[in-house]
Amino acid sequence: MASTMRPMGRMLTRASRSALLPIEHSAPRAAQTALSSVNKTSSPFSHLRTANNGLLASHRAFSTSQLRLRAPTMGQLKSRHSTGPFSWKSALLFVLTGGGMIIYFRVEKERLERKRIAEMSKGVGKPKVGGPFTLKDLDGKEFTAEDLKGKYSFVYFGFTHCPDICPDELDKMAEIIDNVKEATKGDNVFLPVFITCDPVRDTPEVLREYLKEFHPDIIGLTGTYEAVRNVCKQYRVYFSTPRDVKPGEDYLVDHSIYFYLMDPDNDFVECIGRQDTPESATRTIMEHINDWKREGKPLRKD
Amino acid sequence: MGWFSSSSEAPKTASDGGRIAPDRSSRARCYEGRDMFFSCLDRNDILDAIKEDKEVRRKCGKEIAEFETACSAAWVKYFKEKRVMEFNRDQTIERIKKEDAAKVQDLKAQGWTAR
Repeated sequence: MASTMRPMGRMLTRASRSALLPIEHSAPRAAQTALSSVNKTSSPFSHLRTANNGLLASHRAFSTSQLRLRAPTMGQLKSRHSTGPFSWKSALLFVLTGGGMIIYFRVEKERLERKRIAEMSKGVGKPKVGGPFTLKDLDGKEFTAEDLKGKYSFVYFGFTHCPDICPDELDKMAEIIDNVKEATKGDNVFLPVFITCDPVRDTPEVLREYLKEFHPDIIGLTGTYEAVRNVCKQYRVYFSTPRDVKPGEDYLVDHSIYFYLMDPDNDFVECIGRQDTPESATRTIMEHINDWKREGKPLRKD
Repeated sequence: MGWFSSSSEAPKTASDGGRIAPDRSSRARCYEGRDMFFSCLDRNDILDAIKEDKEVRRKCGKEIAEFETACSAAWVKYFKEKRVMEFNRDQTIERIKKEDAAKVQDLKAQGWTAR
């Protein structure tokens, strides 16, 4: 704040200096006005004789009629000059308004920057990341992209036989879920989703047991090989699951390791990656949720 | 080739045909086995446990046996490869850092100063 106050102070002195300037000069100007009014009556060439008239004017300035005109103005100017046009009250008001504006513009700038990022990812027409899909939830019910709408969803792709990265990331996800829940005061506007890239091994039963260890709120989704391949394509997730797996065969799946934050229109907003901590991720998510709320857009809280 | 070659553990197939993944505790056991094995490799100056398999089995026989028991074969292979990958990555980072430092020294010698 100190750094912003310093230029503010400089601005203030400059402003007051320039405001005082016309006042200092206004006294001679008043005399000039009086002079020109006199000249008008005398001759059209009066400006050629300014030197003479200057004497005349200064002489006339002490006449009673001129005194009557000038005295109240000078008195006012004198009194204003002694205190200056800026009392400590107006100075304080100026500083507070200025400071307020600076803070407001900073906040607005950040918000617009985030909005720009969010808008940018919407692209023209079809979103670049995410799109329609049909999968099955852990109760075997159909789950489509439509079910994600109305809330901010947080989509992660992985597989239960993942050695170390997925479990780490899911632990992080669990922490984020709790943080966001706390920050939104229990408003149910955040939908964490885990989509398996390995549907052959990750059946609903396997997924349920697996996700239970991380967070009960995570929605597990699986489907046919084709359905999963399609959703991975929609989300631009690298998909390398072998199609034909012999029973008992052991394999790993390569996949992208990002969380995808999607807005209530189910448009991609931002990626949360390995470098994010639960805290930084929560901050990013909450910024987007709060922006959405501030713009008065609808959110589903069921 | 199960999670535990001893196969005294619960069945690995779910009732709906899925394959049950290692849970948190068996993951922890696997990581522990891995760390023990890797510290043995460190002691014996071995980086790539796949290339030097014979040597590894001679010198860290006990550790690799425990590691292979605690983790699935795919995980064992993954961790061995990851060890090499991470070592090379760190080496590269170090090399770049050194090159950068040398460059800065060189520039400073020519009278350049950081802002």
